[in-house]
Amino acid sequence: MRNEMTLSFVAIEENEALARMAMTCFITPLDPTLEEISEFKTIVSEAVTNAIIHGYNCDGKSLVTIHAVIDDNKIIMTVEDQGEGIFDVEQAMEPMFTTKPLLERSGMGFTIMESFSDSLSVESMLGSGTVVRFEKTFSPVTEVSRMR
Amino acid sequence: MAEINQIDGIMVVTLSGELDNLEANKIRSTISSSIFTGKIRGIVWDLSRLGFMDSAGIGLILGRMRDLAPYNGETIILNPSATMEKIFSFSGLGPNIRRGSVDSVIGEIGGVLYEK
Repeated sequence: MRNEMTLSFVAIEENEALARMAMTCFITPLDPTLEEISEFKTIVSEAVTNAIIHGYNCDGKSLVTIHAVIDDNKIIMTVEDQGEGIFDVEQAMEPMFTTKPLLERSGMGFTIMESFSDSLSVESMLGSGTVVRFEKTFSPVTEVSRMR
Repeated sequence: MAEINQIDGIMVVTLSGELDNLEANKIRSTISSSIFTGKIRGIVWDLSRLGFMDSAGIGLILGRMRDLAPYNGETIILNPSATMEKIFSFSGLGPNIRRGSVDSVIGEIGGVLYEK
């Protein structure tokens, strides 16, 4: 199947749950396994939280935009903000690196996104924002059970 | 949601619902102040009823391990889901994971501390 969607919301922490819920509904027709759903939800949560907290400092007015395409069993998704940008993307992607230790950010967001997706790329420019793009392929539950 | 109980100096934090950044910020100070006022010698994070967790959960647990460090407190993560278990392993918290009942791990912490 093929499907496409865009979702924009202001940068408040309450919208992390909105993004997780909306995106979970979007992939439900692909019939993913429970573990795939939960990994996908985690990726969405990490990317959106980064945009809200680091991109916009929870300013409550700037917009985070999710764009997603379903192509057969695969989702291709971007999470975009026009916020602060990342000073050094390579450093930001190192496990345990965080610019906000006082907020108890663990610095594990990118590690988790990388591990739970099939591919991940991050484009960022200081002062103009960040785009995180990832792909994840799902194995439909019905197909898995047929294989067994 | 977090439900906090103390059993014999060991704090049991039972989490339910979704533990993200917003939720972690809501429950952090309650858990911290319990540690500082309660002569706590260990925390059991019971995740049996937790539906979702992202890296905010790692931040919350690592932060409380720091709170506990002056008291040499133990940290046990009980019954996380498969996805949560992966997240804990990425963060070096794999050795803190246990499966079983709250009573059995409280026994374990009691035993570990007794030997010390």
